[in-house]
Amino acid sequence: MAELRLVGIKKVYDKDVVSVKDFNLEIRDKEFLVLVGPSGCGKSTTLRMIAGLEEITEGDLYIGDKRVNDVAPKDRDIAMVFQNYALYPHMDVYNNMAFGLKLRKFKKDEIKKRVDNAAKILGLEELLDRKPKALSGGQRQRVALGRAIVRDAEVFLMDEPLSNLDAKLRVQMRAEIQKLHARLQTTTVYVTHDQTEAMTMATRLVVMKDGIIQQVGEPKEVYDFPNNIFVGGFIGSPAMNFLNGKIEGNHFVMGDVKVEIPEGKLKTLRDQGYVGKDIVLGIRPEDIHDEPLYLKSSPETKFSAHIEVAELMGSEIVLYSKVDDQDFVARVDARFNATAGQTIDFAFNLSKAHFFDKETEERIK
Amino acid sequence: MINQLRKVYSTLIVYNEGKNKLDQNYKWFVTGNHEVIGIHEDELTSKDISLLEAFLVPYNIELPILTEEEEKWRQVIQSKEPTDNAFELDSSFRFVYFFISENQISPNLFNDAIHELFAKRVPILWKNGSEGIIIEKQQDSDENLSYDQIIDVLMSDLYVNINFFVGPFKEDLKEINHHFETLTNDAKTVFGYTNKPVVTYVDAIPYLLIHQTEPELRDEISKTILQEYLDDEDTLKMIETFVQCNLNISETAKELYMHRNSLQYRLDRFLEKTGIDVRQFQHAMPVYLAMLARK
Repeated sequence: MAELRLVGIKKVYDKDVVSVKDFNLEIRDKEFLVLVGPSGCGKSTTLRMIAGLEEITEGDLYIGDKRVNDVAPKDRDIAMVFQNYALYPHMDVYNNMAFGLKLRKFKKDEIKKRVDNAAKILGLEELLDRKPKALSGGQRQRVALGRAIVRDAEVFLMDEPLSNLDAKLRVQMRAEIQKLHARLQTTTVYVTHDQTEAMTMATRLVVMKDGIIQQVGEPKEVYDFPNNIFVGGFIGSPAMNFLNGKIEGNHFVMGDVKVEIPEGKLKTLRDQGYVGKDIVLGIRPEDIHDEPLYLKSSPETKFSAHIEVAELMGSEIVLYSKVDDQDFVARVDARFNATAGQTIDFAFNLSKAHFFDKETEERIK
Repeated sequence: MINQLRKVYSTLIVYNEGKNKLDQNYKWFVTGNHEVIGIHEDELTSKDISLLEAFLVPYNIELPILTEEEEKWRQVIQSKEPTDNAFELDSSFRFVYFFISENQISPNLFNDAIHELFAKRVPILWKNGSEGIIIEKQQDSDENLSYDQIIDVLMSDLYVNINFFVGPFKEDLKEINHHFETLTNDAKTVFGYTNKPVVTYVDAIPYLLIHQTEPELRDEISKTILQEYLDDEDTLKMIETFVQCNLNISETAKELYMHRNSLQYRLDRFLEKTGIDVRQFQHAMPVYLAMLARK
């Protein structure tokens, strides 16, 4: 069993720089948990506190039932993979994987058994006598993972392990790490600033900003129901559109453009006293439509706008436009041939949209 | 010499690495022949210890025994005499100061791992159980790792936080003892200012300049330059990132997950309020120094 519990964790540097604030989280056994957020949000610091590489200023960290705040990193039964997937340049693959175990005085037979097993899992059997120089980037990264696997640890900690790879290799390794997790079922805490990586790999993800957890949830849940404007904008690409406007009657009004709010959402807004107030509409690019059938069935959310830029992505086109002088991005079906320079009709699918409080930036629920 | 000493100290034993353990009840020393000898503490007065330390090297039981080459370097570094021609160099070299968390790792393990990272064995001189220097010789090889990479490799094997302060390459031994002193002192100063794990002597200059500035002047610099932004952590973090991103708006906006227009707007506001345009290098530099001065 390798559950982790972080209770009221806080990290303060130099007496007054707070890097992580009141971090509470239970990481389940066998879970692939991703910490995601922009640079400086505290995700790597949190991972390093779990590893024992950073001291915890306040709070308690448990691995299983044991409080490990004062346990040395080497005694925490963890294995780590970092951003630089560098290897010992003068050792072959076998010895690169074996070295950590040799340092810990494991017996030769045991080392061989573990390295052979990791090599088999990672498809490195044919490469064991090669030096890093003779390996491709992907193979090197697999060896770096192998160096962690041989530890047979209860928890894997990965700090942006794919960020130094090129885009194609990153996608490939993403899948490999997922397969590896499915096979080994080791509790994994993975740090990334890349929301796509977070969305595609996580069992659950934790979105962080300024050292504070903004939301914890399964990727789809976080995508569909972001707690606040930050999460809505950070998760998803292209990002969620945020449009300022007012509630007037049954409508959300942006200058001259009025769109009708579905009854359920309107009731919530009314009940919470938002009628007549400035609020923010958050709508994902794929929830803005230009298909004739949709426009016909949704006249209440229809408006015209000028297309400034159109990016053909294959089966979809990403359109950049403006409503009430506010930028928005729509991701629409490429079959309808929208092109830059045209003025066309759009319609919002407001049943999938969210409203946010303009001051607190929280989603109105 | 051992026999002579044994006549005076009957408890003297010779340490045989791998065969017997270092007894904590003994004081340990390294002889000129690199043998480690121990004398039971009961047999030593403080005067004896001072005397022995004058002609033998005290041996910290956690530290690796020096190789011949390491001993040569130790002597030149500690020498009070001119060091120009102490011995012949086969290539240029640099000192790399390292600092690791205390009591987290055996120096012998650290040495083993470091040696595997270089084509040739590098001399390593430990000052105590948590700091020392690596003497890296310049090698033309496409297999050289950066010190950032080295940290990641070592951390995943040794489970320990490591800091490196990388000095300049030197062609000769001229004033090398002074260079060593300066480098180790600078390293300690710089790691008091930054959390970066690897700092080069070039990166260190702003920190050292600020460190050597009188507190009153430091205070004046930060107040004069940063004005009402003195305690505005968000703006200062934004500017710090902007400097680290080489004054590149797009890169900074991406790094901070901020729209580039918002970043532009906030930089404009800073200009309006302070008269300082951090988009220009000659303005960015003093702002950066002022931010260091307030630390």
